[in-house]
Amino acid sequence: MSTTYSQERKIAGWLLSAPLLILLAGLLIWPMYLGFKTSITHDILSEFETYPAGFENYKNLLVEPNFWSSIRFTLIFALVASVIELTLGLGLALLFDRIFPGKRFLFSLMLIPIMIAPSLMAVMFRLILNENIGIIPGLLSKVGLSYSIFDQNNIFTSLIILDVIEFTAFTFLLSYSALQNMSSEIYEAAAIDGANKRQTLLRITLPILKPALAIVFLLRILDSIRTFDSIYILTGGGPGTSTQTVGIYIYKTAFIYGDFGLAAAAAIVLVLLLTPFMPFIIKQFNLGTESSR
Amino acid sequence: MRLKKTSIALATALSLVVGLAVLPNANAATTVKMVLWPGPEGDAMQKVVDSYNSSQGKKDGVTVKMILLSRDNTFAKEAALMKAKSSEYDIYFTASYLVGQHAPYLSDLKGVKDSLYLKASVNSLKVAGKQKALPLDTSLHFMYYRKDLIASLSANAAKYTSIAKTVLGKDLTPNTNPATWTWDDALATAAFFTQKYNPESPTKYGYALPAKNLLYNTMIWNDVLWGLGGNWLKNGKPNLNTPSGKAAIDVYNTIYTKGLTSPESSQWEYAETNSALTSGNAALALQWNAAYSELSTTGATKDQIGIAPPPGKGQRTHVHALAVGLNKFSKNQAASAKWMAYLATTPAMKTYAGAGGVPSMPSILKGMVATNASFANIIEYAGKFGYSESAGPREFDMYAALAEVLSPAWSGQKTSADVAAAADAAIKKLQK
Repeated sequence: MSTTYSQERKIAGWLLSAPLLILLAGLLIWPMYLGFKTSITHDILSEFETYPAGFENYKNLLVEPNFWSSIRFTLIFALVASVIELTLGLGLALLFDRIFPGKRFLFSLMLIPIMIAPSLMAVMFRLILNENIGIIPGLLSKVGLSYSIFDQNNIFTSLIILDVIEFTAFTFLLSYSALQNMSSEIYEAAAIDGANKRQTLLRITLPILKPALAIVFLLRILDSIRTFDSIYILTGGGPGTSTQTVGIYIYKTAFIYGDFGLAAAAAIVLVLLLTPFMPFIIKQFNLGTESSR
Repeated sequence: MRLKKTSIALATALSLVVGLAVLPNANAATTVKMVLWPGPEGDAMQKVVDSYNSSQGKKDGVTVKMILLSRDNTFAKEAALMKAKSSEYDIYFTASYLVGQHAPYLSDLKGVKDSLYLKASVNSLKVAGKQKALPLDTSLHFMYYRKDLIASLSANAAKYTSIAKTVLGKDLTPNTNPATWTWDDALATAAFFTQKYNPESPTKYGYALPAKNLLYNTMIWNDVLWGLGGNWLKNGKPNLNTPSGKAAIDVYNTIYTKGLTSPESSQWEYAETNSALTSGNAALALQWNAAYSELSTTGATKDQIGIAPPPGKGQRTHVHALAVGLNKFSKNQAASAKWMAYLATTPAMKTYAGAGGVPSMPSILKGMVATNASFANIIEYAGKFGYSESAGPREFDMYAALAEVLSPAWSGQKTSADVAAAADAAIKKLQK
């Protein structure tokens, strides 16, 4: 029995995809399997032996208030930071979507924060904002102002500002590139129809950019949910657990409390919580791809 | 023909090179890999390693290679390696507060001469009576104060008493000898040097409070607890939800809520505490002995920094030792033991001290008092006031858990009544 052309194409497709699929399995599925296996194990550093624990870690996690408070803080932080970053990034992209003197220089300047590792950015923040030796408090005091950036009442705002400084460049860059893909003919047609700048922005630019902006927003949300290094360096998740992200919770559970099983269970639960977002992102991504065709 | 001859010659040469490379070398030294963290300890240890490799190591047939992991995450990386029963490193970096957690993965050390070391340091590295690690640096706390400011207290006795009454509600007179301070004396002095209560104070705040949610800050807070007669455990049961436990929480809470420290100190740790003192913004702080070098030579505290034991009626200072332990899964046990034996000698620790380390050997510290005056205090305080909690294998976890539970009260978000029971619950959970 001879194979048909379409069957041959199918086999060739699998064969050609095989190296990538094997790599994917090695880098993604295997570690996830190991993570799940650890999550159903009693695995504590101070105890030499490990043994199967069924879903005990998951049960413990469900009644662990610190886990849920870290989830709540993470979601609020991610949402607030992402909304501000998207708004500022889009605004800057619209500003840069024209020709003006010094545009190239300013464009390059805008991208600097995103090139700095978040941990390094946090260390710089700690030094620059240090009340005793930092340049910003020093300058503020020269003009008779004082603002305690790390005061417990201001700490959430300070963390948001740090994230915004670092990642607005990301939303700006993607929004700007989406703007560059828009055809000038659409704007010409709108101008002929007598649309003013506001109408053009609200009825043409934003609706066309919507799929791209949705992707940018969701990517930022997902990335913010993984926030760890900057907050860990600045606050350690405190005072108490008031600024503890879920990433910090998982890290502390594994490497401070030495409970690898519980930490793995928390990581798995986090993946499960984030999974429902994925079809939405893929849908938006497809919409964006189709609209750009 | 010529090509053939050239090929044969090349092949012969290659075979010789490969052959020599794979032949076992009877004189080859065993390489021992040791983990340490970067910073003064890593720098100092490199000198000891170099010295060993160029002398004793040749006789022992051992070459030591030191691997410096990151300062912040050395113990996290080691935790993963230990749990995987890895043999990648032969010697792990550990500490008194971690040795309980690390003990299952460390070989017992034999032949360690206790008499060479500060008693508190060497004993803190024993688990179930077995020596699990070799002490390197000893760390404890001093009450640092500005000598020039404390000297001025007597001339302002009336003002001092008035401020103490306003802030603490107590009748107190100046005590210019910090070595005999109670916590009331320390708080009243801090209030006196806070501009909010005394606009003529040269410092903005009287105290620099490291109140960040960080396990090392719990170690400092422990001095307050012990100074007020408290302890984590009593007869093996959690003991913080008690009058002494709550009083110790209240000391930090008072410092923060009364504005005797910066509002930002809720996120302070070692570096910020130092900068508050050297910048002239604060007058006193309980801080690690390691800070002395910086405080005695920098800024407002230069030549003005005084040292006293932590205040309290039952004065005690937390003491711990950084240390190295032998990986139970090392494939080079014998070679590693040779290096550890060298590391336990006085000449090795002399080299370590000469390069900036603070070894736990009193004989060496005594000889170096001229270069660092605080070494005399280390010997005295470790012997007289040195103390550490013995809370079992999860002691390290308890430090972290207490920082998490207590830091909201340290920084005024909660009260001692809100957190004391939770602190006991946190300890109990980790005792299981």
